[in-house]
This record gives sequence, structure tokens and C-alpha cells, in this order.
Amino acid sequence: MAAVSFRQVEKTFGSTSVIHGISFDIADGEFTVLVGPSGCGKSTLLRMLAGLEEITAGTIAIDGKVVNDVESKDRDIAMVFQSYALYPHMTVAENMGFSLRLRKADPKLTADRVAQAAKILNLESYLQRYPRELSGGQRQRVAMGRAIVRDPKVFLFDEPLSNLDAKLRVAMRAEIKALHQRLKTTTVYVTHDQVEAMTMADRIVVMHDGRIEQIGTPLELYDHPANLFVAQFIGSPAMNVVEGRVRVREGAGWVEADGGARWPLPSTEGLSDGQAVAYGVRPEHLALARGEAPVTAEVIVVEPTGAETELLVEAGAAQILVVCHGRTEARPGDRIGLDVDRAAVHLFDPASGQALTGLHERATAAAA
Amino acid sequence: MTAAVVLDTARTGERAAARSPRWSLWQRWGLVLVLPYVAVFLVFVLYPVGYGLWLARHPASYERLFEDPIFFRTVVNTIVFIVVAINLKMVVALMLSGFLVQDRWWIKILSVIFILPWAVPSIPTILSVRFMLNPEWGVINTLIFRLTGADGPNWLNDPTLALGFSMLMHVWKSLPFWTLILVAGRLAIPGEQYEAASVDGATRWQKFRFITWPSMRTLYLTSTILSMIWTLGDFNSVYLLTGGGPADLTHVLATLGIRYLRLDQVDLAMASIVVALPLVLPLVWFMMKRLSK
Amino acid sequence: MSGTRRWTRRRILDEGRLILIAIPVLLWTLIPIYHLFLFSISSKDSATSGRLWPKEPTLQNFDFVFGEKHFYLNHFWLQLWNSLLIAVAVGAISLFVATAAAFAISRLKVRGGRTVMNLALFTYFIPAAFLAVPMYKTMGNYGILNSQWALILAMVTIASPYCIWVLKQAADKLPWELDEAARIDGASPLQLFRLVFLPLMVPSLVAVGTYALLLAWNEYLYAFLLLSNDRSFTLSVALGAFLSADDSPWELLMATGLIYALPPAAIYYAFRRYMVGGLTAGAVKS
Repeated sequence: MAAVSFRQVEKTFGSTSVIHGISFDIADGEFTVLVGPSGCGKSTLLRMLAGLEEITAGTIAIDGKVVNDVESKDRDIAMVFQSYALYPHMTVAENMGFSLRLRKADPKLTADRVAQAAKILNLESYLQRYPRELSGGQRQRVAMGRAIVRDPKVFLFDEPLSNLDAKLRVAMRAEIKALHQRLKTTTVYVTHDQVEAMTMADRIVVMHDGRIEQIGTPLELYDHPANLFVAQFIGSPAMNVVEGRVRVREGAGWVEADGGARWPLPSTEGLSDGQAVAYGVRPEHLALARGEAPVTAEVIVVEPTGAETELLVEAGAAQILVVCHGRTEARPGDRIGLDVDRAAVHLFDPASGQALTGLHERATAAAA
Repeated sequence: MTAAVVLDTARTGERAAARSPRWSLWQRWGLVLVLPYVAVFLVFVLYPVGYGLWLARHPASYERLFEDPIFFRTVVNTIVFIVVAINLKMVVALMLSGFLVQDRWWIKILSVIFILPWAVPSIPTILSVRFMLNPEWGVINTLIFRLTGADGPNWLNDPTLALGFSMLMHVWKSLPFWTLILVAGRLAIPGEQYEAASVDGATRWQKFRFITWPSMRTLYLTSTILSMIWTLGDFNSVYLLTGGGPADLTHVLATLGIRYLRLDQVDLAMASIVVALPLVLPLVWFMMKRLSK
Repeated sequence: MSGTRRWTRRRILDEGRLILIAIPVLLWTLIPIYHLFLFSISSKDSATSGRLWPKEPTLQNFDFVFGEKHFYLNHFWLQLWNSLLIAVAVGAISLFVATAAAFAISRLKVRGGRTVMNLALFTYFIPAAFLAVPMYKTMGNYGILNSQWALILAMVTIASPYCIWVLKQAADKLPWELDEAARIDGASPLQLFRLVFLPLMVPSLVAVGTYALLLAWNEYLYAFLLLSNDRSFTLSVALGAFLSADDSPWELLMATGLIYALPPAAIYYAFRRYMVGGLTAGAVKS
């Protein structure tokens, strides 16, 4: 169990800089997810923590000790790879006990630890099998077992569920989360899937182009995204964003988008007439109106998913996604009205992408 | 190079040069483990090559070399050997590769037997052929006598026939190897292409011309070039069959050096090899470009 | 399966065509080998009489060979032993040198690894016969001419490049994450080599070791140049020595030759799956 801290960490490959001065802390026992699109640097950051990549500048510390020059094997970490990286010529038991064998540990101790880990992961009946005889999910569990046997200070996961089919992924997500709750080891988990991030993390670090966009708990990121990138990355389906100008008339205010649609605002605090803004509202915070509505739109596509219905509508010049519970009688071509949950409206500066504070009390830090 | 591309290659481990600091434990061990081969190379390749070139430094050696009629004859023999033997071998290999990929149980057995010339060492087999060619009691002349009543020729005493048989031996020995390589090339062509061609109404020749050959072209060329390089070094086929005779008339480059060596004319031996380099080195360079990453 | 197809006229023509090709190929392949066999089971008179099958096939020649009952065969057993010793030594040393180098280049990504690989490749392509004369002089300079070590080291030099090439190709196919996982598990470079790399490379190691071993066993030119004492000769050189006289016992030569030819043939047949796959794939990449 240990805290991890990154201070001004940078990484360059040749002349290309891929990580630009990243700093943040992970508390002891926390499950932190690094999430972001491909190429954002999350895996590189993880590998630097693991000691598989050189740290160009800055420091990484585990349990208070700077580990820049410490070999992977001495950092007391364990890693689960995307492709499991099981030794094909060793049995499950041998795979899991390999690290202890390397340290010339007592065979009895090794066997005990392996048995313990196997019990936690339901691998007891597979101990003598070879990786090629196992399914994807089983192999992933063996990879986790190998990490558990190490009893490390930090668990590292590098997109471990990407190679599994959707159903298995859901099941494994729960298993990993349960494992964390049981062992309480500090965990750093990398994924590109924001659903995984939202369901598993204590805190999420959203990364983009080698920088941190925002750090926060899942709900913080959902409720108070600090910028456009986070707003559109977190939450599925993605937030609707419309560009327009603030209009203030006789104390009332709205955002006028191209095509004339008038999007309601909760207040006009800190906003000036004519100010250009990006207006964001999540599909689940829109509803089909009965009667008068601030925004009118034409239905383009109706997609019932059983429990909910997704509607793609056109309001003014913009295409908007609406998610409503249950069924609807709206059909393509219908003109409908949209009700907006004002408390869930987000405004962003269109130039910088930053959220406009004043609408919300909190903006969490983002490293530049 | 975008950051995303750079990160992608990092995942596949190709960026390892940036991964370890200069003299980490891993780099040190790498050095230690590569040292045995480097030592072998320095002591047994670099030094001999350097020493050989040094031995061949006198222009006078080359003058004497070019005045030696045997050298001139050798060059002609070598060129004939390469042009004829290699093309014959590769064309036959190409045709046989088509034969050997046919799906018959007895062809599979045949292909196992077919490897024999390559698998068996050349000394016994070349000597075997040498005895077959013996003018007095060799099998061939005995058969000719029985069938026609006339004496067969003194095969190895005629320079042209002798060289011809050397080439035949060379082809005999190396054909299986190249045939198998071309077989591998053929097997890499997806069967569906031939099926589609059948449906389109292609004849056997058309299938070869439009499907097989385009896929095999590069492999065939590379194999021919490599075969040329190795044929230049085929000492056994000539030496064990003819000894370079009669009267030093069937020497090739590979055997000429040894001849000079035995006559204690080391500088000529080296000079004859150096003279071959303008032919060999471009071929080697071509092969290296193809294979080295 | 073809057994269930009907014997159409087309099919008879096709099969006939194939058989028409097969017969010459079979004859061409087997004639020199059959002749070798023929001689070795014939007495001298019978062999030189040009018959296709001896009147009285005999194993007497083998008796002569195994009993060292002729001048040229005085040291048969010793020479056979020399061939074996040198072949095994070359196989083992080449394997060691090549495995270490391939591991360093492919997995440890040693600096300059690519250069070493290119140097090896270059050596592989240069015909060995070209290197023979300089090698002969060099061994003289090093003072080990006429010793078996000269031949062993020369053959290691010739065999290693191809071994390194094949092993490196095979090593490159191993997933990189295995090394990373092992490093995180705490493996030192040697542990990685011993416990992860070697076990996964076994088929390639067998192919490569066999290649080097057979290369040395079959070698004539270098053995002929570098060994001069008939007690240190390998069997190949001894066979060549028969040629120095005109009335040598040819049938004994052929019998010896047959004995000499059997081990490589046997090994190739035993390992042919490894050899064909590993060697042809490495030789020419299309």
C-alpha cells in the first residue's frame, strides 16, 4: 500500500514530446483511472511508473521514495498487460509463482501464496493448465493472480479488458473492482473506455495530448466538467454542444444558436449580452415537452433501446441527441418541443474550451 | 511524426533504444552476450579478409594473373557455369515446384526422396558420379558398349564435357533446396485465386502467367541472385569431379584460388579472389538490402 | 479424396502427365546414390564390370572398412570420431554464440545490434570458398594450423551468421510483453534468458544446432586445407585422399562414403519439419 506522486513528469521520444509536465497525486489505497483517447499518453505514463520507459524529466515517487532510477523489479509493483503476457511454456501455477521463484523464495511459501490467489480468483481447478488451454477471461484472471501473488505496493493495469468481448468485460469489471475492495491496494488503471473509468474509479484522470484535462471523482467529472474535452469525453451518449451567443433582454437570458434556436439559461450571472459561448447539455437532461417549450426541433431518427429511447433531432442548424425514459410516440418528421433541465446546463468559452465558472461553484484543477 | 504514431511504436518495443539508460544492467548484459560473435567475427573474418587484401596489394600479382591463360580460361568457365547452371537450375526448380505442390500421396513420398541430394554430403555422391564416368569401367561407358558396341567418350578428358558434368552435379545437389523454396512461395498464394480463375475460364498456362508468376517473381529473382553468389563458391562440384582438369581447363573461381595456393603462389590466389569481388559484392549488397531491416 | 473420383479420360491424361514427370525426377535423384550403394556392396571386379546389380552382393567391403584393413583406411575409426567430434563441437559452439547474440540483439536490443546483424548477414552471403585461402593463412599466423581447433573455429565462423539470422527472426516473433512482465516480476537478464527465452526457442535451437552440425560434418574444403595429419583428418578428407592414386580400392571408398553419408541423411529425415520450415523461411524472404 503506498501513495504515488507525479511531479512535472515529461517524456520525449527522439524529438517528439508526448507528455508535457504532468503532476498529480494518488492516495494510498485509491483506485485511479487514467482515461483518454488513443495517443493521449496514458499508457506511456503508466509504463514510466512501471519502469518500462525512461522518465525524460520530472520525478515519480512511490511511497515517498523517488523511483526514477530504480529498476522495475525493485519498485514493488505488479502489472497486468492488455495481452496478459502469460508465459506460454509454464502452467498457471508456475506463471503465478514466477516472481517468487526468481527471488528464490521458499517453494512452500510460493505454493501457499499461489493457492491463496487462486482461491480469490476462482482459478483453483486450473492451476496445472497451460495458458493456451484457457479462455480470454481465464487468462486475464491468471494475469491478475500473478500480480496478486507479488503483494505489491501498487497494481498497474494497462487496458486489461480491451481484448475481451463486451459481456465478459462487464463481468471482469466487477471482479476487478471487488478485488480492489478486498485487497485495498493502490491501483492505477489505464483505459480508453470512459464507461470503465466511470464505473471503477475512485478518481479519474482525463488525459489528452499528453496533458491532464481534469482530475476528479466520476460524478465530479460528470456534473462539473472543467472544459469541453472532458464534457464530451465523459458520459455516454456524449453531451450535446451548440455554439451561440448570449442574449440578455429585460433580465431574462438565453443562448441564441445558429438557426434561431433559443437555449434556456439558469441565470445570467457573469454573462454579457452578445458573448460567444458553447452551450452544453447532456441528452439525458433533455425531455420532450408537453405544450410550450423553449426550443423546437424536428425529429430525424427514433432509436428505441427498450428501456429508453434515443432521438436525433434538428434544432435550428444543430443536430441534438435526446434520451428519454420509456417509449415515445414521436416519429421522424414530427415537430416537437424540448424541455431543458436548467440545472444541468454547461457553458464553455468557445475559444479556450474552458468551463465558465459562476454557473457552478467548483472547477477542479487542470495542469496546463 | 505525430505523438500518437510515436506512442504506437513504443508499445511494440521498437523504441527500446530510448528505453534503457546508457549502461544499465540490461545493456551491459547485451554487450556481454553479443561479444562471443563479435570476437569470432573480428578474429576469423575481419583479420583474414584484411590480411588477404593486404597479401593481394601488389599490382604485379594482377599483371601475372591476367597473363596466365589459365586465369582467362577460369573466368570463361565461371561465367558459363553461372549463366547456364543457374538458369537451368532455377527454371527446373520453378517447374518442379509446380509439380510438387500437387496433392497426391505418391508425390508427397517423392518429395521426401527428392531431398536426398541436398541432405547427403557431396563427397560420396560426386565421387560416385566420377566413377560412373570412368572411361574404362564406368557404368555409362559399359552400357554404351553393350548397346552400341562402340567405346563411349572419355568423359572427363574433354574439357567441355567435364565442365558440363560439373554443372550437372551442381544442379543435382542444389536443385532440391531451391525447389523447396519455390514450393514455399507457391504455397503462399491463396487457393481462391486459382478457383476464381477456373470459374473465369483460365487455362493452366494463363493461371501461371497471371496468378503464379506475379506472386513468385520477386522470390524467383532473389533466389537466382543468392544462388549466383553461392554457385561462385561451389568448390566441391568441380574439384571432386575433375580436379580442375584436364590440364587445368575446367577450373572455376572457387578452385583456382586453391590451385595457386598449392603452387605456393598465395598472392595470385588472393588476387584471383579480389578480381571476383566486383561481381560478388554488388550481388551481396543486393541481397543485404532485401533481407536486412 | 482422389480415390472417389471417376477415371475420366481427362483424369487419366492428368495422372499420366504427372507420372511422366515423376519418373525422370526419381531416376535423376537416385542414380548417383544408387550407384554409390551399388559399389559399396560389390567386390572390386564386380563393381568395375559395369553391372547394374552385383552378381554376388557382399558386405565384405564394410568388413574391410570397419576393420581398417587397407592402407587408406588405417585410421577409419579415428577419422570417423574426428568428424563426429568436430561436428558436435561446431554445432554446440555455434549454437551458444548464435543464441547469445540473437538474444542480445532481439530481446535486449543491445546498441549496435543492427550493425552486428548486418555484419553477420554479410558474412553469410560471401561464399565460404572465397574465405578459404585467407583463413588458411590466418590460421597459420595464429599458429593453430593443422589442429582441429582451426577447423572448429573456422566452421563456427561460417555457420554462426545463418544461425544468428534464423534465431533472431524467431526471437522477434516472441511477444514483447513477456519480457516486460518478466522484468516486472523481477527477472535479471540472465534469468530472462534462461527461464523465459530459451524454453520458448527450443524448436529453432534444434533446427539451428542441427544445421551447424551438418555443415561441419559435410565440410570438405576447409577440412582439407586446415588439417594435414591423417590422424587428425575428418572422414571427408580421408575420402578425398583416395583420389590421389589411380588404382585405389574404389569399392572401399564407396562403402566408406555410404557410411559417411548415412548420418546426415538420417538426421535430415528425422528433423525435416524443423529444417525445411526454419531454414527456407530464413533464407529468402519474399
